[in-house]
Amino acid sequence: MEPPNLYPVKLYVYDLSKGLARRLSPIMLGKQLEGIWHTSIVVHKDEFFFGSGGISSCPPGGTLLGPPDTVVDVGSTEVTEEIFLEYLSSLGESLFRGEAYNLFEHNCNTFSNEVAQFLTGRKIPSYITDLPSEVLSTPFDRCSAE
Amino acid sequence: MPHIISRTPRMPQSRCPAGMPADGNICPSVIRVIVKTPGHQNNFTVAGDTSVRQFKEKLSARFKCQMDQLVLVFMGRLLKDHDILSHRGITDGHTIHVVIKSKHGSRSLAHSFRNLLTKNPCHQDRSTKGNNSRMCQSAGMGQTKVESSLLTESEAPTQNPEVDSPEHIAQMLENLCVQRMLSNMDCMRQLISEHPDIQELIQQNPEVSHILDNSEILCQTLELARHLAIIQEIMQLNQPAQNFEHPPNPQPYLGLETIPNGNNVLGQSYDFNDQMLNGMQDFLEGNSFTALLAGQVLEQVQTPPLSVPPSEEQWDQAPNAQVIYANSCGLSSITPTNATLNNTNHASRENPVTVTIEGESHVCAVEQPAGVPVLSSTAVTQELQEDKGTTPPLGSSHQWLEEDLQQPDEQTSQITGGMIQLLRNYPHVAAQMLLLMNMPQQNEQWRQQSPTSLQSSQLSDLLLALANPKTSQAILQIEHGLQLLATEAPILLPCIEPYLWSLGWFPLSNSNYTDTVPWALNEPDMAEPQWPECCPKSGTVLQRVQPPSGDPSHCPQAPEVHFSKQMEHLQAMGFVNYNANLQALIATDGDTNAAIHRLKRSQGS
Repeated sequence: MEPPNLYPVKLYVYDLSKGLARRLSPIMLGKQLEGIWHTSIVVHKDEFFFGSGGISSCPPGGTLLGPPDTVVDVGSTEVTEEIFLEYLSSLGESLFRGEAYNLFEHNCNTFSNEVAQFLTGRKIPSYITDLPSEVLSTPFDRCSAE
Repeated sequence: MPHIISRTPRMPQSRCPAGMPADGNICPSVIRVIVKTPGHQNNFTVAGDTSVRQFKEKLSARFKCQMDQLVLVFMGRLLKDHDILSHRGITDGHTIHVVIKSKHGSRSLAHSFRNLLTKNPCHQDRSTKGNNSRMCQSAGMGQTKVESSLLTESEAPTQNPEVDSPEHIAQMLENLCVQRMLSNMDCMRQLISEHPDIQELIQQNPEVSHILDNSEILCQTLELARHLAIIQEIMQLNQPAQNFEHPPNPQPYLGLETIPNGNNVLGQSYDFNDQMLNGMQDFLEGNSFTALLAGQVLEQVQTPPLSVPPSEEQWDQAPNAQVIYANSCGLSSITPTNATLNNTNHASRENPVTVTIEGESHVCAVEQPAGVPVLSSTAVTQELQEDKGTTPPLGSSHQWLEEDLQQPDEQTSQITGGMIQLLRNYPHVAAQMLLLMNMPQQNEQWRQQSPTSLQSSQLSDLLLALANPKTSQAILQIEHGLQLLATEAPILLPCIEPYLWSLGWFPLSNSNYTDTVPWALNEPDMAEPQWPECCPKSGTVLQRVQPPSGDPSHCPQAPEVHFSKQMEHLQAMGFVNYNANLQALIATDGDTNAAIHRLKRSQGS
């Protein structure tokens, strides 16, 4: 039996603050944040991410953010593109509808984490998923969350 | 002394503790695996040596699907049927992901999903734009799955990769979730009002916001949109264009003929040179006095100069014409709906900023044909119900025809039917006729002057007005229309003749017209006795004016056409003086607000 195809799965990490968070966070939040992370999953030559418009895709690095600041290798998957798209469809109607987007609780990183686990069984680095709680624990951003 | 040491009984084979080493093969362990489907998570307890196939059997019973629809993924690896769970390293506490494929072939689904995924360079993860999503959040649309039903069609009864096909839209509307959302008034109101296209629309047509805010209108609209069957039935009713004297229910007709084209109506410009269908619709929407020909002529002739009508009354009279238009335009297909959908899609794709929310705009785009166009129609419906009596509009026209022509009912209905047939077959003629009818409404000085009392001072004023080249163009258009009417349906001439007489205007057969046939207005005998007296003066006037004016068709950007949209606005706001409106617009170069100020100043002075 021929070995199944393995497709690499990458995580593109963008710093939305373009370095400002690293500089200003100590002043503004009282703690050091390395960045405001936005992530997307790249598999099957496409970048998939979750936003207020629901699940979206584009060519890798094709968002307005430009090329990613960091690329994390999540692993590889046997899941074919067909199955993956079906999976995304189901996600898009259940857990990741556009209106379900929440900046802190249910954002792009939540999505990336979910998809990474589906594709490879691994989670994305914790410094990304812990960001909301980090930020929420500061008095400043608690105000902005409200 | 021997004693039997009671050993703790060996644990039953079905309850091995977790973390048992690999000799679980021998001692089949029961493991508790977490089965994750998109959005859900279930615990399953199975034996470790269960094969994937057996596991799939369980899952198919649990998720109510076929076994071959199930795809199991563990650690990124697809699980084959012949695998054993424990051989793949699945032990207690592990998570298996399950994807349930759609029944009708995943290829089409993937294709459709690709179509719906935004292929856009713009990402607005933290954007504060995306009106739709914010609105949706605030409206509490958590339960709805409209967007999902766009993103995936696995829930649709039939697979249809084309988003903009009528069947797909039908599926959409029949989807329970869509129905639920449509019945949520606040949600729909927000959805509609916050859509960027609607906002643009409101900017262009301020009166539309009045309609959109009326919850009753919305309610009825949504009611109509919810019941697709009604719409379809109405469309089928509209197909045979024969007997329309007594429309069984004016209300559905209104909904009918604006549903497919409603978006065009509300959104497009009122360019007469556009597709005549749109032009007619625009007449409908923008002009308060477009109406059934005969009935409205009667009203215009007999009623005193009209006061400024509120917009409700405008809508009030519109249904008359709408009924006719329903018949005459034959707007029975929903391909315009698809066209609008396509347009919206393309528009949203081209806009890089909002493209991220294309998922949402897909939602709105698809709903628009149902929701937005029906709004306009239901607005009319609403007003019709509120203000109008139960008499069908054609009844009044019948009455009038009977009075004036003293013809039996059959002939009356024949005439009306013939007229309707005419309108149906030649929508451009109908448009011209409407333009004709609009003239006296907008130009009160014409109406107030009867031809017999035309005095020299009035005549000079008249000449001054006519010296305006735009005026002559307008008159030319009218004459053009009348000539067309004469050639195509002379039977209608007696119907509009009294109206012309009140207008004090007599169209001539003029050799200046290069593209029309000689005028044949004298055919109807009953027209003649009333015209000769007004003929000399106005004929002279027209003859004087026409040579310099030239063929209006050579001026594609005639100010009337150029400002037609603003003209409609002004009329809708109650500035009935067509001439004054036009001059104000010309003076302000199309600035509606400035024109309004000018008109108010001139009225006040």
